[in-house]
Amino acid sequence: MAVEQKMVTVYIMGEPQLVPEGSTIIMAWEYAGFQLKKGLGCREGFCGACATVYREKGDYKLKGGLACQTVVSEGMSLVQIPYVPAERPRYNLAELKPDINTFKELFPTIFRCVACNTCSKACPQDIKVMDYIQQLKRGDIAAAASTSFDCIRCGLCALRCPADIVQFNAATLAQRLYGKYLAKPSPELADRLQEIADGKYDAEIEELNNMGHDDLVKKYYSREMKIR
Amino acid sequence: MYPEYMMESIKKVEATRAKRLAIARKQGKQVFPPMDEQERENILETFHPDYKKDALREMRLGVNKGEMIINEVVDIMESYPRNKASDFDLSKVDYETDVLVIGAGSAGLSAAIEADKKGVKTLLVTKLRLGDSNSMMAQGGIQAADQRDDSPTLHYLDVIGGGHFDNKKELVEALVMDGPKSIKWLEDLGVMFDKDDDGRMTVKPGGGTCRNRMHSTRDYTGAGICRVLRDEVYSNAQNVKYLEYTSATELILDDKGQVAGAILYHIELKEYFIVKAKTVIIATGGFGRLHIRGFETTNHYGATGDGLVLGYRAGANLMFMDSVQYHPTGAVFPEQIVGFLCTEKIRSIGAQPVNEAGELFVYPLEPRDVEASAFIRECEEGRGVTTPSGLKGIWLDSPLIEELSGEGTIETTLPAMLRQYERFDIDIRKYPMLVFPTLHYQNGGLEINKNAETTVPGLYVAGEASGGIHGRNRLMGNSQLDIIVFGRRAGIHAAEKVIAGIELGELSLKHVDDYAKEVEKLGVPKEKISPLILPDYIPDHVKAKQMTEEYLGTLVK
Amino acid sequence: MKIPYFPGCSLKTYASSFEKSAIASGAELGIEFVEIPRWNCCGVVSSLTSDDLMHHLAPVRNMIRVLEMQNDKIVDTDNKMLTLCSMCMNTLKRSNLKMQEHADELETINDFMYKEDQKYDGSVQVMHYLEILKEYGFAKIAEKVKVSLKGLKVAPYYGCMLIRPKEVGIDDAEEPTIFEDFLKALGAEPVDWRSKKTCCGSYLTVNKENIVVKLTGKILEDARRNGADLIITSCPLCAFNLDSRQELLQIRNPNFEPIPVLYFSQLLAIALGLDINKFGFENNKVDGMPLLKNKILNK
Repeated sequence: MAVEQKMVTVYIMGEPQLVPEGSTIIMAWEYAGFQLKKGLGCREGFCGACATVYREKGDYKLKGGLACQTVVSEGMSLVQIPYVPAERPRYNLAELKPDINTFKELFPTIFRCVACNTCSKACPQDIKVMDYIQQLKRGDIAAAASTSFDCIRCGLCALRCPADIVQFNAATLAQRLYGKYLAKPSPELADRLQEIADGKYDAEIEELNNMGHDDLVKKYYSREMKIR
Repeated sequence: MYPEYMMESIKKVEATRAKRLAIARKQGKQVFPPMDEQERENILETFHPDYKKDALREMRLGVNKGEMIINEVVDIMESYPRNKASDFDLSKVDYETDVLVIGAGSAGLSAAIEADKKGVKTLLVTKLRLGDSNSMMAQGGIQAADQRDDSPTLHYLDVIGGGHFDNKKELVEALVMDGPKSIKWLEDLGVMFDKDDDGRMTVKPGGGTCRNRMHSTRDYTGAGICRVLRDEVYSNAQNVKYLEYTSATELILDDKGQVAGAILYHIELKEYFIVKAKTVIIATGGFGRLHIRGFETTNHYGATGDGLVLGYRAGANLMFMDSVQYHPTGAVFPEQIVGFLCTEKIRSIGAQPVNEAGELFVYPLEPRDVEASAFIRECEEGRGVTTPSGLKGIWLDSPLIEELSGEGTIETTLPAMLRQYERFDIDIRKYPMLVFPTLHYQNGGLEINKNAETTVPGLYVAGEASGGIHGRNRLMGNSQLDIIVFGRRAGIHAAEKVIAGIELGELSLKHVDDYAKEVEKLGVPKEKISPLILPDYIPDHVKAKQMTEEYLGTLVK
Repeated sequence: MKIPYFPGCSLKTYASSFEKSAIASGAELGIEFVEIPRWNCCGVVSSLTSDDLMHHLAPVRNMIRVLEMQNDKIVDTDNKMLTLCSMCMNTLKRSNLKMQEHADELETINDFMYKEDQKYDGSVQVMHYLEILKEYGFAKIAEKVKVSLKGLKVAPYYGCMLIRPKEVGIDDAEEPTIFEDFLKALGAEPVDWRSKKTCCGSYLTVNKENIVVKLTGKILEDARRNGADLIITSCPLCAFNLDSRQELLQIRNPNFEPIPVLYFSQLLAIALGLDINKFGFENNKVDGMPLLKNKILNK
């Protein structure tokens, strides 16, 4: 049963191209004959390489999205963004303190935020970008790390920001400061590291290493399942 | 949203939900009896794609000559190199380094961070950008035996049982014993593991684990780790230089047979560069983009198995290259996300796989190959759901999660999944997800020892490109661990080898020319070239008009 | 009374003693501070220039949050928004005034408010804690005083933001009395002094420290000359300049006698009988604790 594929016209960098209805932006580029080398990555919404802007027919708004996740529509105007220019400070996490002064020094531009929220609007992950910048401005690193957590570093926030802030790099630092300094250490982990260092498991592991196939099979299938 | 006829089946799923929920409340995760050894064997032999008659064929050249290997891997091995030795003057090198790391996923980044710490000159190259990798896309978790009711020994048993007892034991030992240490290392670098208010790790079970051992960073575990490693290289590495959009197309050996560098290729500028390196670490990841047996894949755009080709031509051997991991739960609807990963964590936290009639038909947390085979069985025997485009799948009943753990659980623990489906107007809190096994992981690879070293002097492999750790089937959460454990080991041992002193002889690409002659003897058509570098999705009717030789990944189909 | 409370950045960092004492004293009087969810910067860091509407986004967005709180019925004060920091109060009020007076500009701002369902209508009334206290009634507060501050001579420091420009000031710009009335209610003796409205040097503290030291030196000497035991203020920046710059003054002039600088809410909390140890006196560079213990608490 051959169903005729419905087609739509999209404008790839201004040129009209006929592509199958229901294509994502990436599929549209490829269908039109482009083998993308930049502006494309995991194809599943996790890497942020294919973040782009587009306009839909009859809508004045410049929208942002991931090209691998956004479905084309008739008359849509497309471009791929190969790279987001953004300065990145050098630092050694081990020498930083998890406080507001770190951000004053490394990301002074965040204090230029005028709360316009253009960043949040641009975010393809629906992150409240402006909110985490505001949280950083008042030194609440734990909140900022959590608010920004789902960031995939696509850079659309930074491209649209009228205050020229590079939000996603500040988010990375907030998350790392939280992970290293603000999250409480795990008591079990510390104990297990000590046990391993003390050689507590060496004999058991050695026994498994020397065990024949059949004994190993038996031991595996008779191991106790304790799933919580 | 789902079409009307699929909603009919969903109603059946909803009708059985209360009963299944009651079982889950009573029996915890053991809602269906797990299979024993014989049952596992039977279902694999009947339904797993690896066991199909035409899945494998004999390799006709190289170290593994005569062995039965996955068809598509034999294809890239029985292809011509992109270059000849005479294309290059190896006396004029463009870069000179102590350690060359090829690939910048979490394994490559970990290797670079450790080599950097040892103070040796490190060059990190990637054909896309730092962090563009399968590592970044992992969702569910990372295993490590750090809980009071768990031990590295139990982890060892799970790994080796899941891998059908074929795993290389020294690698299993290294993996499980380094587990807790790796978590600590990552946390010190700033990875935000899911924890409770007292700092206790939130741990979940995974397919084939006998304890709760899965650590996570929401359902962005790969990203939660990989972006931190990348940031460490960007912000703090002292001795690391990195090149992006730069692919390695061939290894260089010296006249003594030890590895001595690589040929690099800038995929946009189309320029070639020569690197002289005392040691090389292949961390190029897996082969999902070869679309084994025509399967859709969860893999990154760049997962074309390049490192396998480079290593194999240089004389390293492959291990377990007769097995492919199909992740049980790849999306089959909507069309735009076909093949995308639906993390195993969905089942870890209570979702059940059910067929068209709403019946639970398998223990939800079998090892991946067994679970996937059960899904295929349901579909092949007519108990699956067919999509408008003709694909088949079974339901993953996600609404159970919130019934079991309360409203809001999905939003906080599966934000990536929720978002993925919301983009196509499907609320997975209310409706199940339609899934079918998708090509996910390269179980085997280039054989390594516990130091991540191959049989080629100076050549190391880490991560998915390596073989031996997981036997013929990897468990959830063990690849995130493996890339850290062996990424670091590769970096440390390569650096130490450099520090101990390496004298390189004369650089040579003779092995590449020799290999090309072997390929020619097999009568392979000239257009077959590898490594692929990138897959090619331009439709045939367009390509017929383009008449260019510039594609990357032009394998004759 | 449940009132939407806008903290501002300083209150969450170096002026935490201000916030703690204000919230605790409010609770004692039945005024519950409900922190505005998702509050953002008051807007002061982007100056209130007349030609750029964008700078009003931050303040207006905070006022939208207040309307949302009212819609959700988590507060019960009609349109009121409580502030502590003089600078935040000033910025929010000025922006609010502009929105109330220029409907066209308000419309533009509302159009630009991405991702906000609630429009702003100019209805919020920005109030300083002192105004709320005045509304509550200083006489009523006097009745609730458990520990009279009798015998304590206090120099009230208004600075500029609390009373100027007059359109947004909480009291007469030239002859303010609100601090004095407040102090009297607590039983303290307000000092009448010339420097109560003199500039503390404000932001120059960042890059022209010397100017700030010179200005605050004069203010502090004036307070001493008029017999003050301590100074009170409602502005974290004034407090910072007046308090922490005394270290340098001491180095330059060995005869300089340090004088504690407190937030008015700290005195209020003490007078209401609350535990002095809870309000962050340890944050102060010049320790006010011995003086207060000596003159008030151990009397």
